Amino acid sequence: MDEELQQLEVELGRMRPVAPSSALKRRLAAELGGNRRRLVRVTWFWAAALPAAAALAFMVSQAPGLKPAVPTPPLSTASSVSSSEVMLKPVLAENILVAAQDEGLVTLDDGTTARRARLKYVDTITWKNPRTNASLIWTVPREEVRIVPVTFQ
Amino acid sequence: MTLFRQTPFIDERMEDVTENDSWTPWFQRFGPKLLLCARQWTRSAADAEDVVQEAFVRYWRHQRQLPGEPMALLVTSVRRAAFDLARRESRRTAREEHAVDSREPFSVQFETPLEGDERRAAIEDAMRRLPLAQREVLVLKIWGELTFDQIGRELDVSPNTAASRYRYALAALRQELAAADCHG
Repeated sequence: MDEELQQLEVELGRMRPVAPSSALKRRLAAELGGNRRRLVRVTWFWAAALPAAAALAFMVSQAPGLKPAVPTPPLSTASSVSSSEVMLKPVLAENILVAAQDEGLVTLDDGTTARRARLKYVDTITWKNPRTNASLIWTVPREEVRIVPVTFQ
Repeated sequence: MTLFRQTPFIDERMEDVTENDSWTPWFQRFGPKLLLCARQWTRSAADAEDVVQEAFVRYWRHQRQLPGEPMALLVTSVRRAAFDLARRESRRTAREEHAVDSREPFSVQFETPLEGDERRAAIEDAMRRLPLAQREVLVLKIWGELTFDQIGRELDVSPNTAASRYRYALAALRQELAAADCHG
């Protein structure tokens, strides 16, 4: 790129976009203003929910004949509802790549040269109960390191 | 070659340390850039603010702890929110059978320095005439501070294509500005 274009780049970089309106800031304050208190509540919720979820998963794994779908208590009290109707079923699985970093060439234990890349994903799985339309969304960050052997010619 | 402005963020980083639970320093830092990015994909300034609000709230509540560059995550979130809005709008527009494009004239909306307002206006005018594909790369690169790799992933094009569009955009801007100087 020639020098004139580089100067133009610098000139553009010096221009500052205008700030969002005060109305937008007020709207954000209304939505996020109580963030600290909400965060505490969420933490306590998870502190209580995680052991319960672990216990539930253990019971499910010990129960014979159950499929790996998450059972939910039936909303209806009618005893005639079959167990298949109250199951959450996986309906969507997504992997979103949020960051990728090429860490360059590395030498493996056997002496071969390889390129190492670190990929960061967010995995999301959605379960849905077709009868009640209740849904459960599970989102977890995941990091993946890929080693790809390279050859030089 | 230095493309990005780093110094204005020093004070904001200090605020991050002392008040890291507050969204306001983050918004001061990213808000103007996000708004400019959002403006590329929305019909009006009001739509752009709606999109930024939706994306920022989503980021702050659910994505803040994720690894990766915050700006890249925020830009992705803004773009998705803009496309969701566009889909909703197109359905509404179809229902109302509007045949005319209701998009507001594009305005870059940069802060006006004490001097050089004519130059800023000329640059904004030249940017308005750029094809969207070039303009969005230019905005994401210069003000979004994304790399060509990140831009390529965002726009679903190769990094080389992103870099080419960027160079074309700069060359077109230079040509427009030279013509404006001749006539001015």
